[in-house]
Amino acid sequence: MVNYLIVLFAITLMYFASAERLITFIRLIALQGLLLCGIAVFELKEVNLANLLFIVAETLIFKTMVLPYLLNRIIRRSGVTKVHRQAIPGFYLLIFSIFGLLLSVILAVILVNPFINPVYLAVALFTLFTGLLMIVTHKLIISHLIGFLIVENAVFLFSLAVGNEMPMLINIGILLDLFVGVLILGFFGLRLKPHTNELTLLKD
Amino acid sequence: MLLLFFAISVFLGLAVFLSGSKTVTRILTLAYAVLLILFTVYAWIRMDTTELTYFTFDSTGVLLLSVLAVLTLPTVYHGFIYTSDDSVKRFNIYHSGLIALMSFMAGAYLENTMTLLWIFVEATTLAVAVLIYHDRTETALEATWKYVFICSTGIALAYLGILFLGFIYGRGNAPNLSFSSFARVISEANPLYLKIAFIFVLIGFSTKMGLFPMHTVTIDAHTVAPPPVSALISTTLMNVGFLAIFRVYTLFSSTSVLPFMNHVLILSGLLSILISAGYMLKAKHIKRMLAYSSLENMGLVAIAIGTGSSGYYAALLLIVLHSFAKSSLFYQMGQLSRVLHTYKLDDSGHYMKLYPAGAMVLLTGMISILAIPPSGMFISELLIFRSLVMNSQWLVLVISIILLCFVIYAMSTRVMHIVFSSPRNDPGQLPDRVNPVETVSQFILLAFVIMICLYQPPFLNDIINQGISLLPR
Repeated sequence: MVNYLIVLFAITLMYFASAERLITFIRLIALQGLLLCGIAVFELKEVNLANLLFIVAETLIFKTMVLPYLLNRIIRRSGVTKVHRQAIPGFYLLIFSIFGLLLSVILAVILVNPFINPVYLAVALFTLFTGLLMIVTHKLIISHLIGFLIVENAVFLFSLAVGNEMPMLINIGILLDLFVGVLILGFFGLRLKPHTNELTLLKD
Repeated sequence: MLLLFFAISVFLGLAVFLSGSKTVTRILTLAYAVLLILFTVYAWIRMDTTELTYFTFDSTGVLLLSVLAVLTLPTVYHGFIYTSDDSVKRFNIYHSGLIALMSFMAGAYLENTMTLLWIFVEATTLAVAVLIYHDRTETALEATWKYVFICSTGIALAYLGILFLGFIYGRGNAPNLSFSSFARVISEANPLYLKIAFIFVLIGFSTKMGLFPMHTVTIDAHTVAPPPVSALISTTLMNVGFLAIFRVYTLFSSTSVLPFMNHVLILSGLLSILISAGYMLKAKHIKRMLAYSSLENMGLVAIAIGTGSSGYYAALLLIVLHSFAKSSLFYQMGQLSRVLHTYKLDDSGHYMKLYPAGAMVLLTGMISILAIPPSGMFISELLIFRSLVMNSQWLVLVISIILLCFVIYAMSTRVMHIVFSSPRNDPGQLPDRVNPVETVSQFILLAFVIMICLYQPPFLNDIINQGISLLPR
C-alpha cells in the first residue's frame, strides 16, 4: 500500500511540471499533504501512538488544509491565476522533470541501503529536484513559495524513511514545516506583492 | 547554570518586549549583556564538561562564545544609539530580538548534537528576520524576505544532510545523533553517504556562514540591517555557520572522505573570493562592500580548513580576528550614516574633516581587515599561505593572491575616497555631528586585532590548539 501511495506522490510531481494554473498547484500541494499522511500512517508502525497522532495531525491539518488555505488567500489577493512567467517553456520543464526522475532512480539504486526503501529514496530525491527546479525556473514569488513547500515535502519523505528508528527527526522536520509555513506564507506572502517578481531594489 | 542562563534569557527577552519604557528596556538589555559575559566566564571554568546532556563546553564552542561575549556590550551600546529615536514598541522589539539572537547563537555554539544545533540555527533565522525588518521600509521587507526564504531553503538542505547522516545507522542502533555517538560509527559508514551529507551540510549552513554558493542572502541582509545587527550577522552569526560545518568536517576527518572535503572547501573558498573581488570592484554601497569583504574572509577560512596542517590554526585565528575587525567597521557605519546621511559611495567624502575619529576607525579597520601589518589577520593569512606552500597547492596560492590584490585595491580606493576626497554628488543634507566618544569600543576592538600581530596570548593559542586537536596533522 505504501508503495502505491509513494508512486501516486511521484505522479503529482509530474503534474506540477505540466500545470500552469496556480489553483492546480494549490490542489496538488493539498493532495501531497493527504498522501504524506497516508504514507506516515502505513509506514510508521513502530513509533508510539502520541507521536503518530502528532504527525497525522500535522500532515492533515497543516499540510492539507492550512497551507493551501494561505496560498489560496495570496492568489485571491493578487488576482493572478496563471503562471505566465517561466524562464523556460512548460514542455521543456516536463522533459527536465522526466530527466530528474530518471536521475533520482539511478541515485537511489547507487545509494541502496538495507534499512531504507529504495522507492522512498527515489521519490524523495525526485521531490527535492522538482522543488528546486520550480524555484529556479519560475519567476513569480508565489511559484517560489510552492517550490519551497515541495522541498519541505521532500524533507518530510526523507525523514519518514528513517522515522521508525528516529522519530525525533520527523518531529524536527515538522518544526521546519510550521516555522517556515507560518512565517513565509502568513507574514511575507501577504505583505510582499506575490504576483510580481519585483524584488530588485537590492542589487549591485 | 545552563538552564538558568536560558531561563533568565527568556525572562529578560519577554520583559523587554512587554516593557513600557525605554529606560527599563535599556536596563534589562544591559542586564542580559552582563549575564552573557558571566555565562562565558562560567563556560571557561567548566571547559570540556557536558550539561543537560545536549550541551558541551568544548574549546571551539567556548572560543566563539567568548567572541560573542566581547561583542555583546558594544552591540548593545550602538543599538541604543541607533534606536534612540524609535517608538517604545519598535525599540522593545529590536532589543528583545537582539536578546533572542544572542541566546540562540550561544546555544548553537555549545550544542553537541546535530539536530539541536540545526534547531538553534533555524531559530537564529527568525530572530535575524525581526532585526533586519526593523526599519519597516520596502527594501527592509525585500531583504528580510530574501533572507528568510534562502535561509529556510538552505536549512532544509542542511537537514537533508543530517538525514543522510541518520541513514548510516542500522535498525535498533539509533542514538540521539550526537557528535560523540556519530564518532563511534563513522568509520563503518558508506563514504558516498558521508560525501552527500557533507555537501548538503556545506550548502545548507553556508547560508549562515555567508560562503559560496549561498552567500547572496547575507549580502542583502547587510545592506539593509541596522549597523549593530550587521556587525552580528557578519561576525558571530557567520561563526555559527562556520562552527556547524567545522563540527561535521572534524567528525568526518578520520574517514576516507577527508581529501574530498578538502577539495570542496578549497573550491568553495576560491569561488567566494572570486565573487567578492568582482563585486567589490564595482561596489557603490559601503555596507555591501563590507559584506563582500566578509565573503572574502570566509572564503579564506574555507581554503585554510581545506589545506589542513597550520591552516586549521589560521582558520580559527582568522575567524576570531575577523569578528573583531569587521564588527568595529560595521559599528562605525552607524556613525558614518549619521554624519553623511548616506551609505552610497558617490555621496560620501571629506569624512576626515567631518568626523576625524570615525575616519581613523575606517582607516585602521581597513588596514586590519585587509591583513596589512600590523594587523593580526596578517599572521593568519601568512599561515594560510604557508600551509598552501607546504601542501604544494601552487595554483590555489597564486589565484588567491591575485584575487586578494583586487580586493585590497577595491577596498582601499573606496575607503580613501570616503575619508579624503570630495563627494562625487552634491550631498543633499548638511553633515551632522557625532560625539567621538562613541568610537571608543571600535578602537578597543581594533587594538586587540593589532596586538595579536605582535603578541599572541597563550590562552588564545591553547584554546585554538585544543579545538583542532582532533583533526589530522
